Amino acid sequence: MKTMPRDFEVTYKAENIYDDWVHDAHWQFLIIPFENESQHEVQIEFSNSLYANTEFSINGFGFKTLRVHPKKKFKQISFEAKFKFKKEEIDPYDFNINSDLSVEYNELEHFDFKITHERFLKQTIYTKLNSIQDLLYKFDTTVSIFQNLENLNHWIYKFIQFKTGVTKVGTLLKDLLLNKQGVCQDFAHLFCALARTNGIPTRYVSGYLNQNSGYMGDSQMHAWVECYIPGIGWKGFDPTNNILANTNHIKVCHGKDYNDCSPLKGIIHTGGQNKTTHTVMVQSQQ
Amino acid sequence: MFIGFYHVPFNKRISMTNIENQIFSSYQRNPDLFDEIYDKNGKIKEVYQKLFNLYGEHSINDYVSLNNKAKSSFFNQGITFQVYGENNVQEKIFPFDLFPRIIDQEEWDIIERGSIQRSKALNLFLWDIYHDKKILKDKVVPIDLITSSANYLDQMNGVNPPGGIYNHISGTDVIKHKDGKYYVLEDNIRCPSGVSYVICNRTALKKALFGVFNHYQTHTVTNYAENLLELLESVKPKGVDVPTVVVITPGMYNSAFYEHSYLAKTMGVELVEGRDLFVENDFVYMKTIKGPEKVDVIYRRVDDQFIDPLEFNPDSVLGVPGLFAAYKKGNVTLANAPGTGVADDKAVYTYMPQIIKYYLNEEPILNNVHTYHCGRPDELKYVLEHIHELVIKPVDEAGGYGISIGNILTKAEIEKVKAEIKESPRKYVAQPIMSLSVHPTYIDDTESFEQRHVDLRTFTVLGKDKEFVLKGGLTRVALKRGNLIVNSSQGGGSKDTWVLKK
Repeated sequence: MKTMPRDFEVTYKAENIYDDWVHDAHWQFLIIPFENESQHEVQIEFSNSLYANTEFSINGFGFKTLRVHPKKKFKQISFEAKFKFKKEEIDPYDFNINSDLSVEYNELEHFDFKITHERFLKQTIYTKLNSIQDLLYKFDTTVSIFQNLENLNHWIYKFIQFKTGVTKVGTLLKDLLLNKQGVCQDFAHLFCALARTNGIPTRYVSGYLNQNSGYMGDSQMHAWVECYIPGIGWKGFDPTNNILANTNHIKVCHGKDYNDCSPLKGIIHTGGQNKTTHTVMVQSQQ
Repeated sequence: MFIGFYHVPFNKRISMTNIENQIFSSYQRNPDLFDEIYDKNGKIKEVYQKLFNLYGEHSINDYVSLNNKAKSSFFNQGITFQVYGENNVQEKIFPFDLFPRIIDQEEWDIIERGSIQRSKALNLFLWDIYHDKKILKDKVVPIDLITSSANYLDQMNGVNPPGGIYNHISGTDVIKHKDGKYYVLEDNIRCPSGVSYVICNRTALKKALFGVFNHYQTHTVTNYAENLLELLESVKPKGVDVPTVVVITPGMYNSAFYEHSYLAKTMGVELVEGRDLFVENDFVYMKTIKGPEKVDVIYRRVDDQFIDPLEFNPDSVLGVPGLFAAYKKGNVTLANAPGTGVADDKAVYTYMPQIIKYYLNEEPILNNVHTYHCGRPDELKYVLEHIHELVIKPVDEAGGYGISIGNILTKAEIEKVKAEIKESPRKYVAQPIMSLSVHPTYIDDTESFEQRHVDLRTFTVLGKDKEFVLKGGLTRVALKRGNLIVNSSQGGGSKDTWVLKK
């Protein structure tokens, strides 16, 4: 029986403060919930403190963006976005695994498969491991791909401790593996690296996590992954919380790694220092 | 500035008898080299006979004075380029040789058909690797070659460039080997430059020696700009009636700035920098004193990574924020298309015969030089053992940078090259040292004509359902004796190149 979709509301706020006057700036926000079968009727309200014109556009991979280009100088600007949408209840376990495991494993080895999914099989600077680290997690081919991925999800959850302030945007896996502490994007990068090493097309996902659910990584934008399982399709895994992506995961976009999904890009010509703060609030009504 | 006395020397006939120090009197021919004006028996080839006689009427002194005037003309027009060294940048006059190269109709036909064939095959290849990737699935070209290329743009996957064209402008570098056949050395399809020199060389030669043109029926080269404009207009975005075309340049400090300004001027379109354009609601506009004007086709001489700081290199100040989104939405044409450089890779070059066969079901009209790919273990082994007889090239550099020619390297240099190849084999290819044909070229130091190696860059323009090859091209001369690298950035010069009508 189909349940009623849930109403969601996401509020995203960012504030930028600069020491010196900024005369020319462009911002691109990649923060709009992605429209698909389970997320729809997205309504967008967006404002900024300078009343600068806002445009809707796309990034290089076709995901919707918001762009702001103020036409006067400033030292401080704040942005507020509010997204209202409906989301279907997702049962992440609603699929069937082929009882003959060799079918799905054989598909991974297929040349056409590797070419079709080439983009999400290759490692990037953020998912690169050395040849020894590649062996950190080897799949057990006596169980299904899905089971292996769920095990990997659990393994990363145990292996890395969630802690803010240890890593930052641009932290590489070699440093993460030394400290074994990080935030959602580090968990997601490590998952991408190890799943791809095992031949599974895996994409980095950026989005929001419903705050009422008590999960980790919820006061900022969240990151998780999606893996392509032959015969099943793309499945979401959230290694930061050791769960499958579900109704509480609100997807914005996906890419090879954080670089493809950076929520805010700015081209700003100014001297001096700047300070940026973001907050995210997610609310839902059943 | 117009130099009026240009016409004088060749109109004022000098006595035919007893010319002291006649032009070709001290020309020495090395029988091991393929000389384009002499045949094997030391006889002047028929097509050059008239030219030889005309130039032969003059003394070296006449020639030197003409040569100096031509040089000052280039300088006065600002036809200079920059050479990037390790520590400094030098501004140089482009050396020009007044003795032209002639290509007869029959040979040109091969070059022209071959250049079109390669450009079309490359265009189909680019469409395929950014769409269905059939050539990769059929294992004709290895996938690693594509995905490991820094010029492969994921963002271009599934994008349909207006008119289906990626490599609007291709520069194909061909040489004549000592077997008398033409070989392609490189396909340049990022931002090939040099076409302005073709036209300037013709102008300079006409000013200096107008009379010689009366004896030959030579195709014009000054129709390049009009053809380029027409073909760029043919790939306008959907829904545009009369497109506005601009040329975007990285600016006056770029080594090819003269060419950018020349092409804009001769096409009659605006020359802009990134800061002259802006994007609004995914359309591109040019700032003018009459207000914004929509731009539909951009001939861009800015590399992929710099065209849009929001999508590619965020530090770029040469590009336009939002340009790539406008392109992706089909609201503006970029020529050449972003991501085209992946097929410019010298490792892809090695597969050109297969690529031509795959898409066109034709045999290549122009030969490829046999190329060893250091990314393949067995070929790497061969290369490391035979460096002294090979040319080593980095796969992703242009302008002759990073090339090592094995037979002139010292032992220590060979070891250094070996170490570099072993460090990143995918980055290098190697070719046998080809013996480029030679052409009589005036050498300042010895005040005489000497044999110098030459190549030819042809310019092919692809538009929607039509194409154009400039009947001429840039003959580049390696001015240092024995040198095989002809790029202007490596101290090369150039010659006017005549394609005969019959």
